[in-house]
Amino acid sequence: MSVKIEVGAGGIPHNQILIYGLVGSLVLIYLTYLNTYFQTEYFAFFGGLAAVVALLWGTDTIKHLCSYGLGTGVPSAGMIALGSGVVAALFGATTGPFAPIVTIIIAAIIGAVAGLMANAVVRMDIPVMVVSLIELAIVGAMTVLGLAAMACGTFEFLGMITGTVTFLGFTMLTYETSVIGGGIIAVIFMLGAIAIQHPFNACLGPGEQQDRTLMLAAECGFLSMIPVAIISFAFIGAYAALIALVISIIGWLYTYQQYIELSKRDAYAWLDAQPIMEPEEGGA
Amino acid sequence: MSALGGPKQTAGVQPPTAIGIVLSIILIVAALGLAYYLVQMAGVIAVVGIIIGGVLIAFGVHFVPVGGAPAAMGQSPGIATGVAMLAAGAGLAGLFGGAWAAPFGFAVALAGGAVGGGLLMAITCTMVNVIYIFGMGIPAASGKVDKDPITGDTFPEYKSQGTEGHGLPFISWVGGVVGGALGGLGGTLIYLELLDVYQAQLPVLLNTTVEQIAPVAISLAGVFAIAMFLINAVLAAYNITGTIEGPHDPKFKRFPRAIIAAAVASAVAGIFAIGLLELVGVF
Repeated sequence: MSVKIEVGAGGIPHNQILIYGLVGSLVLIYLTYLNTYFQTEYFAFFGGLAAVVALLWGTDTIKHLCSYGLGTGVPSAGMIALGSGVVAALFGATTGPFAPIVTIIIAAIIGAVAGLMANAVVRMDIPVMVVSLIELAIVGAMTVLGLAAMACGTFEFLGMITGTVTFLGFTMLTYETSVIGGGIIAVIFMLGAIAIQHPFNACLGPGEQQDRTLMLAAECGFLSMIPVAIISFAFIGAYAALIALVISIIGWLYTYQQYIELSKRDAYAWLDAQPIMEPEEGGA
Repeated sequence: MSALGGPKQTAGVQPPTAIGIVLSIILIVAALGLAYYLVQMAGVIAVVGIIIGGVLIAFGVHFVPVGGAPAAMGQSPGIATGVAMLAAGAGLAGLFGGAWAAPFGFAVALAGGAVGGGLLMAITCTMVNVIYIFGMGIPAASGKVDKDPITGDTFPEYKSQGTEGHGLPFISWVGGVVGGALGGLGGTLIYLELLDVYQAQLPVLLNTTVEQIAPVAISLAGVFAIAMFLINAVLAAYNITGTIEGPHDPKFKRFPRAIIAAAVASAVAGIFAIGLLELVGVF
């Protein structure tokens, strides 16, 4: 029933990326818990790095799934990933220190249901469907949880719904100036969705190379980190947010430059076009 | 729609497998039971509302004329983008309409959602035809039927050779508006059900007033409504596999499969959305 389409061969095996992605994002997201432990906010940027690692894994999963030809385009896989992921991430966030682990379990359940429905009821009959949608839901959930933790410095639900405003020297507790109450969660949702659906969509084709696709995924991840770092100025201390912003910008510049290098490597020819110069005098 | 080709289009509709049906029934019953256990009767009503909303979304997606990449080149009828994108556009427009109208009562909010989604699709479909006809110079002709079921216009003499039809015939326009309205209605229904649950639970949990907690409740309900909208729209898109012309397309007959899948996916995602606040403060 399914037609296998061409993607680049070779590279790191998918299962290896799966393990690195899962363990890496889990460890990085737990590093933001150092904020609670040391009562600071300087470790918030680890949430963004967790999202980048998850996005790398998710891009390879999308490549794996879409090589069967879904007929609906690559972006739909990113949409269902973040759709299942945001439900799991916010549910998981209510469990305090266990948030990342609970998030993974809940995301796996929602992804499995969506995958089983796609295969057994809608009859896609794609062998990797169930596993891929489980992976994608976990990726989406870790991305949302990571970026939300980066914005407010914690992955706990009460931290996400409460914020403080200083008015005439008085500090008040409000629900408006928070990641969820301010609607920032919707921005994070879309930033994650764009970052996950773009890389393979841009790189697919006969000359697709894994390292180039994954470099683009990292670039998209860092690019999504930049707005979240700017948003985080509203919720965490200025120095902590500045550290996050600097790390995102450095990461983005490095991955973007590397991606251009890899694109030049894989291109048949490369022309560094110069602007057309006006003749010095007289002219033709 | 990807230009890479999809699964082979087989004749007829493959029915859902027996395992799929049994699993669907078990999951829906389990979700309803869990909802009763967690939030009593209000939870059951909310889950039923979410399931109905999800089913409306999945059904509505089948009406929307999706052309994909071939439509961008004028080689197939419909709007030149993927199912998930179009459905997300219509659904979000509907959701904004419905959320704006939420304070005016349940029925007005639902109508607002339907009008919002339908209006977005009406504008999109009209502008698509303006670009096709006046910009690209191609007439509207369906490739799947010879005669428009509503206007009676004939198509074969306008259809270019080697294409599956082009442009957006009137029946597809009507399908787009109906699909947008159903999608907006479904998305708004999910939003309203979740909003009710959160507005009842959050003030008790955090010891505040409903007004203080409103931003959190609205934001949570909104983002979950978007999430469930996208899950259902993508499952419906998988059911369509690529392009569809509207309600007259033979692929439209596949919709019962998407309805089952959407009902189950909504029930499972909905139970987590409803049970969200049960664990706050436990750990």
